[in-house]
Amino acid sequence: MTAEATKLLAVGLAVGIGMLGPGFGIGLIGYSAMNALGRNPEARGAILTNMILAIAFTEAIGIYILIVAILLALVVK
Amino acid sequence: MKKKKILGCSFPVFIFITILLLGLFFFGFISGPVGSNFFSGIKLPAWTHVAQPNPVLPAERVFFNSPFLTNSIISAWLTIILIVTLVFFAARKAKLIPGKLQNFIEFIFEALYNFCASVAGDNARAFFPVVSTIFLMVIFNAWIALLPIFGTIMVPGYEYQGGTWEHTMVPLFRSANTDINLPLALAIVSFVSVTYFGIRARKTEYVEQFFNFRPFFQSTKKAVKREKGGIMGVFVGLINIVVGLLELLGQFTRIISFTFRLFGNMIAGEILILLFSFLLPYLVPLPFYGLELLVGFVQALIFGGLTLVFMSVAVTSHESDHD
Repeated sequence: MTAEATKLLAVGLAVGIGMLGPGFGIGLIGYSAMNALGRNPEARGAILTNMILAIAFTEAIGIYILIVAILLALVVK
Repeated sequence: MKKKKILGCSFPVFIFITILLLGLFFFGFISGPVGSNFFSGIKLPAWTHVAQPNPVLPAERVFFNSPFLTNSIISAWLTIILIVTLVFFAARKAKLIPGKLQNFIEFIFEALYNFCASVAGDNARAFFPVVSTIFLMVIFNAWIALLPIFGTIMVPGYEYQGGTWEHTMVPLFRSANTDINLPLALAIVSFVSVTYFGIRARKTEYVEQFFNFRPFFQSTKKAVKREKGGIMGVFVGLINIVVGLLELLGQFTRIISFTFRLFGNMIAGEILILLFSFLLPYLVPLPFYGLELLVGFVQALIFGGLTLVFMSVAVTSHESDHD
């Protein structure tokens, strides 16, 4: 396989497999936040604040993958 | 009889707008690379085609081949001038019943202060300057990058292509958040502020939480004197030392995480808009500008909010946790 083909394959695999983690993670956080909100609608402020915080952390993992993909696609020859 | 309205417009106006949007969409489709392969017979004038984008991660240098004058630092200066001018003119003749500009600036400040108070409680007055500076810097940098002058005014400069700095025409303005140095600088400011507030509030106990040798030595003393709970205490003490050192590593990893979160979001948004302006010009990039507005606001909130949370965690004493 040529170097170009390997690079393209690496970019596709990195993004495809890498984004599974944050996708699942954010879905789980949303699920638990909905559960908590359903049990206790009065605590809406605290639940939402902590949910946004947790989502920011997991989203950053997806951004790391994006950085790697951009680096592979544009910078590596 | 009332005239029927669709989406707030009368029927002929609605039809006109729909035809206009569809025409714009198809015109963009044909002039992009996808359409010009489908309809290879239609030749459009050269100005309708958008050049293939070539985003480079290092910021381009303008005029001189020196790393100290890049287009991102010029944009950062523009942001600073904008913020300082806005607040200066709002606070110059501050009245009790505010005028429009003073009202707007007071609204922003009050919203930020309430945000700080909701997370930090009593310490909001101390945390507010750093957090709101970080927030305003990130959000103004992200939002003015959507203006037409960013990326279009070209001046002679140097671009990092193929391993060397080549002399080409480069944009004069580029969003400051897309140069990795600014998110790194903000992350370091955040780290230093959190450490400063932690040490100011908890003095040596803040440093002791990372170099947690005291329970270990206490438990070895207990084990030597054959007191109850000696041996188990030694093991727990060892674990506490390791956890403390990992916590210290985590503080530094936070710098990297903050940097790449902001940088990744901003560069991804810019590449997305560039790509869609190339593939399907004129109409389809518009929702992505809206997405970029939202992402800019959310990332500013996350950066400032996480700094605030880490500050308020750093000043709360953990004395009650120990037996």
